[in-house]
Amino acid sequence: MNASFLCQYRHLAMAVATVVVLPLVLTSGSLATEVLIFALAALGCNLLLGYTGLMSFGQGIFLGLGSYAAGLALLHLRIPLIAVLPLAMIVGALAAALVGWFSIRQRGTYFVMLTLAFAQMFYFLAYTLRDITGGDNGLLDIPRPPLEILGQRLLPTAGPWEYYTLVAVVFVVVFWVLQRIVDSILGRTLLAVRDNEARAAAAGYDVRMLKLIAFMISGAITGLAGALHAMLTGIAPLSNIEYGTSESILIMTVIGGTGKLFASVLGAGFYVLVGDWLSTLWPRWLMLLGMLLIAVSLFMQKGLWGVGTGLLQRVRRQGRADDTATQRSAAYD
Amino acid sequence: MTEPILQARNIVKRYGRFTAVNGVSIDVLPHTVHSVIGPNGAGKTTLFHALTGTVPLTSGQILVDGVDISALPGFKRVRTGLARSFQVTSLFPNLTVLENLRLAAQGVDAVQAFHPWRRPESFKAACETAASLAERLNLTLVRSRLAGELSHGQQRRLEVGMALAARPKVIFLDEPTSGMGVDDIGDMKQLIFSLRSDYTVVLIEHNMDIVMDISDTITVMQLGQVLVEGAPDAVRCDDRVRSAYLGSMITGGRK
Repeated sequence: MNASFLCQYRHLAMAVATVVVLPLVLTSGSLATEVLIFALAALGCNLLLGYTGLMSFGQGIFLGLGSYAAGLALLHLRIPLIAVLPLAMIVGALAAALVGWFSIRQRGTYFVMLTLAFAQMFYFLAYTLRDITGGDNGLLDIPRPPLEILGQRLLPTAGPWEYYTLVAVVFVVVFWVLQRIVDSILGRTLLAVRDNEARAAAAGYDVRMLKLIAFMISGAITGLAGALHAMLTGIAPLSNIEYGTSESILIMTVIGGTGKLFASVLGAGFYVLVGDWLSTLWPRWLMLLGMLLIAVSLFMQKGLWGVGTGLLQRVRRQGRADDTATQRSAAYD
Repeated sequence: MTEPILQARNIVKRYGRFTAVNGVSIDVLPHTVHSVIGPNGAGKTTLFHALTGTVPLTSGQILVDGVDISALPGFKRVRTGLARSFQVTSLFPNLTVLENLRLAAQGVDAVQAFHPWRRPESFKAACETAASLAERLNLTLVRSRLAGELSHGQQRRLEVGMALAARPKVIFLDEPTSGMGVDDIGDMKQLIFSLRSDYTVVLIEHNMDIVMDISDTITVMQLGQVLVEGAPDAVRCDDRVRSAYLGSMITGGRK
């Protein structure tokens, strides 16, 4: 039982390991937190791209709306943190339901164009409604309340590592839930939709409804990431809902590798950390990232995850070859 | 006389200004093999698409066991007992053989598909159906291989299996032997014939040996319409069928 249990949850185990290792190797708590937040966003994108076969250029909408929802709730309503997170998830899911409802009516290029159009529309909507969103300036001075339930203080969030702890807990819980979802009947049926829509429909599945549900789950996770991001930086900037955010999330997901959950964590970690490091050396670092993306698209379509597993297999095979070699030499001796 | 399990009335399917199927009516009796034949472009596959809901009807009526299903989209028709295979193999290539069959078996109870927590292994009935079908189709040895890695013959068998897995009342097979080697064709013929005891089969097939040997009824289509319908012998001897286009192909050169 233990072996299969481990196998089933090896991605979750790696996620937990990441959460533990990040504070050991990074000196900045907010950088570590950012990794986990974008890992959440990439996971949401992976559910669509890797598990349902939908390439959405609208993930920034859900992240941005999650930021705004959290910002507005914290600034004007002063509701507790424990309520802010589900609120952002609901906002993300509802926005995804709207975008998805229209977009999944089309396939391929037209689907992608529709998500792109929605991304632009929501951006200009946020830009125009400056009374609500703060327009160009965004929402400023968003407070970060401690985690309290019924007046009981569970976790302080003031310091960067304290906030990291909160985000880490949220990250692990979401990862676990997502792992269950992709291993569930729903998740496996989504894979069928990804593989062959016509056959899935002929087998009796409501393909549109399945896609819409995947969209809503993805929107909820991305909205949550947006809320956590707003509390991390204390602002909900217009750039969160910009097309560029959608693009970054997609790039992280693709660089990490699609169809495997932990790959998204790799992709987000790589993007955020390498970006942070390179931007201090060279302001045009995004150009290097572009080259990497070309390399991934051309030569390593399974992303960093694929490279990692490939290396691991090679090491194992070598290990086995060494074993047999020693055995053989032992036999000759 | 037994009631037909499937009744199609005046089925019309137009693509723009082109009428692919023009007022076809067929009655399919339960536990029979009902073949639809005709030259390329006669509208056989379009008729299948229209009956199974792969494309919407232009007009006409479809009854399964007396219930009108004409307005249902394809995926809902599966629940009323229709299932199909495709002329061009249509599988889930990146999933295993067993997973392909399991998904097809689970499709009848497709509400289950929305269960975001339960593991598929706990849905016993579909797993058992998949395992027993893999055995029946002689795919047990390759059950854990990806469907996309199978040989053509194996893929064609799996394609038929996908339709069987839904345990339908009526199973539509669109050229199940297309592209198969001679050895495999005999097995497929036996398989289709054996289906009669549990299902009702509607078959499109170009191989006349198979059609003449195992059909109970044959509908001959031409230019989107029914030309002749009857038992194999009657169709074989029908002058209209002969003179129209089948000629020696159907009689095998014999007079």
